Amino acid sequence: MKMLNTLSGFIKERFPLENMNMKSMLMKKVVPVHKLSWAYYLGGLTLLFFIIQVLTGLFLLFYYQPTVNEAYDSVKFITEKVPGGAVIRNMHTWSSSAMILCAIIHFLTTFAMKAFEKPREITWWSGVVLIFITFTFGFSGYLLPWHQLSVNATKVGLQFIGAVGQYLPGVLSELPNKLIEIIQGGPSIGQETLSRFFAIHIVILPLAILAILGVHLLSVQLHGMSKGVSRNVEKTEPFFPNFLIKDFSLWAIVFLILFILSITIPFESFFPYPLTEPYNPLGSTPDGIKPEWYFFFLYYPMELLPFWVIIVAMGVLVVGLFLVPRIFQGTKRKTLRFLSWLAFAYFVIMTVFGEAIFEMIKGVK
Amino acid sequence: MKRFFTFIIVLFLTQAQVFAYPEFYEYSRKVSNRKTNCALCHSHGDGPEGLEPGQIGSLNKDEMEKLMRARSTFNLGSKVESPILNSFGNQIIFTLGKKKFLELKTHPQDLARELGLKSDLDSDGIPDSVEYLDGTLAISPEDGHPWKLFVSNLQKYFKHILLAIVSVSLLLYGFINFLKGLDLAAKVKGDNHETKKH
Amino acid sequence: MSDFFLLISLPYVAMFSLITVTIYRFKSKKFSLSSLSSQFLEKDKLFWGSVPWHMGIGIIFLGHVVAFTMPKLLQALVSKTNILYILEGIGLIAAMFALGGLVVLFLRRLRNARIQAVTSNMDLIILSLLTLQILLGILVATLYRWGAAWAPSTVTPYLWSILSFRPDVSYVASMPLIIKAHIVIAWVIILFMPFSRLIHIFALPLEYITRLPQIVVWNSRRLKEEVIIAQLEAQSRRHFLKSAFGITTGLILLSIGIADKVIPFFRGPSLSAKEKEEMLKNKLEKMKATIKQKELENERLVNEYIYIADLKDLKTDEGLYFTDYSMKPALAFKDERGLPLLYSAKCTHLGCTVTNKVKNGKLLCPCHISHFDVKTGDVLDGPAPKALPTVKFILMDQSQQIVINPDKSKLNEYKVYIIKEGNT
Repeated sequence: MKMLNTLSGFIKERFPLENMNMKSMLMKKVVPVHKLSWAYYLGGLTLLFFIIQVLTGLFLLFYYQPTVNEAYDSVKFITEKVPGGAVIRNMHTWSSSAMILCAIIHFLTTFAMKAFEKPREITWWSGVVLIFITFTFGFSGYLLPWHQLSVNATKVGLQFIGAVGQYLPGVLSELPNKLIEIIQGGPSIGQETLSRFFAIHIVILPLAILAILGVHLLSVQLHGMSKGVSRNVEKTEPFFPNFLIKDFSLWAIVFLILFILSITIPFESFFPYPLTEPYNPLGSTPDGIKPEWYFFFLYYPMELLPFWVIIVAMGVLVVGLFLVPRIFQGTKRKTLRFLSWLAFAYFVIMTVFGEAIFEMIKGVK
Repeated sequence: MKRFFTFIIVLFLTQAQVFAYPEFYEYSRKVSNRKTNCALCHSHGDGPEGLEPGQIGSLNKDEMEKLMRARSTFNLGSKVESPILNSFGNQIIFTLGKKKFLELKTHPQDLARELGLKSDLDSDGIPDSVEYLDGTLAISPEDGHPWKLFVSNLQKYFKHILLAIVSVSLLLYGFINFLKGLDLAAKVKGDNHETKKH
Repeated sequence: MSDFFLLISLPYVAMFSLITVTIYRFKSKKFSLSSLSSQFLEKDKLFWGSVPWHMGIGIIFLGHVVAFTMPKLLQALVSKTNILYILEGIGLIAAMFALGGLVVLFLRRLRNARIQAVTSNMDLIILSLLTLQILLGILVATLYRWGAAWAPSTVTPYLWSILSFRPDVSYVASMPLIIKAHIVIAWVIILFMPFSRLIHIFALPLEYITRLPQIVVWNSRRLKEEVIIAQLEAQSRRHFLKSAFGITTGLILLSIGIADKVIPFFRGPSLSAKEKEEMLKNKLEKMKATIKQKELENERLVNEYIYIADLKDLKTDEGLYFTDYSMKPALAFKDERGLPLLYSAKCTHLGCTVTNKVKNGKLLCPCHISHFDVKTGDVLDGPAPKALPTVKFILMDQSQQIVINPDKSKLNEYKVYIIKEGNT
C-alpha cells in the first residue's frame, strides 16, 4: 500500500494535472536563452525528420512489395520508373540518417545539460526508449531493398546475437541461435525474415514510437525546457510564439536542404554498385559489406575487441542509460558536458575513422 | 538430345571461346578506389561465363546468334546487341570496334580518352567515359560520383528547387505571421479579461 | 460593323479616356484618387466583402496579366495537363471568391442606409459591370474550357494588335458571343475606370498593408488602454492578412509542384511496350529462380542423397557453388589425389559467403578478410573462429552403386552426391 502511494505520488509529480492546459503548456512556457540554447532545437528537428519519414514512407508503400522476388525490382521500379519516385526514396534514406544523427546529438546534449533531473526522469527514460526504437527502425528498414548490401549487412548484424552463445553454459548456449531463428523466421534469411522486418518497420515500430513520443512531448511541455546551465538564467524568451517561429524557420531551412540533397544525390551513389545488385543467396558475398554508418560505433569495436567485452559494455550501457537520473543526480553540469564530449568524440572517431583503425590493426588492405 | 547439344555448345564456348577482359574493370577499380565488378560492361556481375541470366550458359538460339554476330563486329560504327553485354559494353564496341578494343587491353587507361565525352547513356550528366574512370555504372542515373551528380542534378532540377524554395518560404512567412497574429489576439483577450477584473 | 466599333473603336476610346482623365485627376484633384472609403460607416460587411473580392480579383488579374505578357511561358506550362487543371481550378476558385465578395459589397450598398447616402450612380454602374464581367468570365471558363490553353494564341495577339496600333480583330471575330461580351465589357470597365472609384487602382496604397492604423489618442487612461488594445487588434489582423497571403501563394505554388510530381507519382508511370517486356522478362526469370530454389528445398526434404557434380568437372583452384542440406551455400573442390573436397561456404564468423577462387591455397571471406586453408578448411587468419565445416558426401559409379573404395583409374566416371545428416 505504501509502495503504491509512493508510486502514485511519483507519477503525480511528473504529470501535474493542474498544469495540463493550453495556458501553462503553451502560452506561459519560456525558453532559457544562453550559450547552449541551440540544443533546444534538436528534439524538434528529430521530430521533423520523423514526420518526413512517415510521409515518404507512406508514399513508398504504394509501390513497394515485401517479397523476396519483388522487393528489389519494386524498389528499382520506384527509383527508375515512377515519376518523382527517386526523390521520395532518396528523401526517405537521407532523412533516416539525418534523424538518427539528430537523435544522437539531442541525446548527448540533454545529458550534458542535465535535463534528466527531477521532475524530468520520464522524459529521459522515454527518450532512451525512443533512441533505441530509432536504431531499430534503421536496422529493420535497411533490409527492405533486398540488395546485396542490405541482406548481407543484416546477416552480419544478426550473427552478433548468435555470438553471445559461446559465453552461455550448457543448454543455454543454443539460446541465442534459437533467438536468431525466431527473428529470421527460419534457419537463414529469406522471405519470412523480409515479412517480419517489413511488419516491424511499418507497423510495430511506428505504433510504439507514436505512443512513447506522446509521453515524451507531453512531459516536455509540462515541465518546460530544462535550465541547461548551472548559473541562474536571467534571459528567457517566450516559447509561443518566439521560440516556435525560430523552430519552424529552422524546419523550413532543413527541409529545403534535405530536398535539395535528395533531388541531387542518390544516397546509394556512395556505395560501389555491386553492393546494390539484387541479393543472390547462392553467390559469393561482394567486397565491402558493412552496416549503415550509424552502427559503426558498435560494429568496429565488435570486430576488434573480444566479444565478451562488448557484451559487458553493452549491458552496462543499457542499464546505465536508464539509471542516469539516479547515478548522475549530484554531478555537476561541467562534468556531464565533459562526458558528452567524450562520447561524441568516440562516436565521430569510430564513424569516420573506424574502418581505417580496423584495417590498421588487422593489417589488411 | 537437345540438351546434349546445348551442353556441347556451352562446353565449347566456355572452354575455347570465352574471352573476358577483366583488365578494364580492374583498372577502373584501381583509379576510382571503388569495388567494381564485370557489371561495368557486362549483363552479369560475374562476367560472361556461367549459367545465370545474362551469361552465356543461359542464352537461347536467337541470342546465341546475336552473340556470334556481335563478336564478329571488328570495325566501329555497326550497331551491336550482344546479349552478354550491357548497353555500355555495346556502346564501347559500337564507338571503337572490336579490333581497337582488343588493342586497348594492354593499356586500359586509354579507353576513356578513346571513348570521348560525347556519349552519356543514362543522361545523368556524367559522360560514360568519366563514369568508367569513376568506377560507376554508365547505364544507371542513380549511380555516379556523388559530387558530380550533385552538380549536374542541381542544374537539371534548378526549376524544381527554385519552386520548392519559393513555396516553402512563402508558407513559412504565412505561418510565422499566423503565429504572431494568434499571439497578439491571445494577448488582447487576456488584457480584456484583466481590465474587466479591475 | 459592330465588331469594328466594339472591338477596335471602343478600345481606343477607352484607353484615351483612361490616360487623359487619369492624368487630369492626378494633376488637379490628387486627393480624389481613392476609393472614397466608407469603412467608418460600416466595417463588418465591408471586411467580408472587400477581402475576398480583392484577393480573388487579384489572383485573376495576375492570371490575365501572365496570359497577355508571357503567352509562350503560359502555353509551355499548361501543355502539362496537370498544371492546366490546377491553374484553371485556382482561377475558378478565385473567381468564386471575387463574386462572393462582390455580392456582399453590392448588398451592403443597397441595404445599409448610411452607405446608401454616400453611394453614387457611378458606384452602382461599376458594381454591376464588375459583377457581370465576373459572371461572364466564369461562363467562359466553364463553357469554353481551358482558356489558359487557347487564350494565349487568340486573345493575346488581338490585344497586342490594339496596343501596337495595328488593330486586327480576325483573332477574335469568330469567337462565341460570351467571349466577345467578356472582352467588350472589359473595355467598357476601362472606359469608366477614370470616372469612378476604380481610379484607386492607380493609387495602390501598398504601404497600408504594413502601416499601423493611426488612432487619435484622448487624454484619458481608460481610453488609452482601449487604444492600446485596438492597436494590438489591428496589428494582429495585419499579421493574419499577411499569413493568408503567404499561405495562399505558398499553397498555389506548392500545388503546381504537387501537380507536377505527386499526382503522377500516384498515377504511376506509363511504360513503353519495350519497358513492359523487359520488366516482365525479369519477373519471369526471378520466378524461375524461385521455382528452382523451391525444388532444391523439396529435393532436400525428400531425398537421402543429392547429385552435385561429376567428379571430373570439379577443379582444384575454383570451387563449384552448390546448396547443402540446410539450404546454405557450399563449395566443391577436387583435392590433389583427385577426390572431392566439400566445404560449407558460410563463413564461421558472421555468415558471409566465401569466394570460390583459390589464391595461394587460400579461400577468402570478403566480409572481414578471413582466410581458410583450401586443403583442410582451417582458419589461416582473420576473425573467423572455426574452420569451415566439411560437407558429407558419397561417390557413385555409373551403375548408381555407392563406391566404398574409390578406384583411382575410374575417378573420371564417378559422380559426387551429398548425403543427409545422420546417414552414414
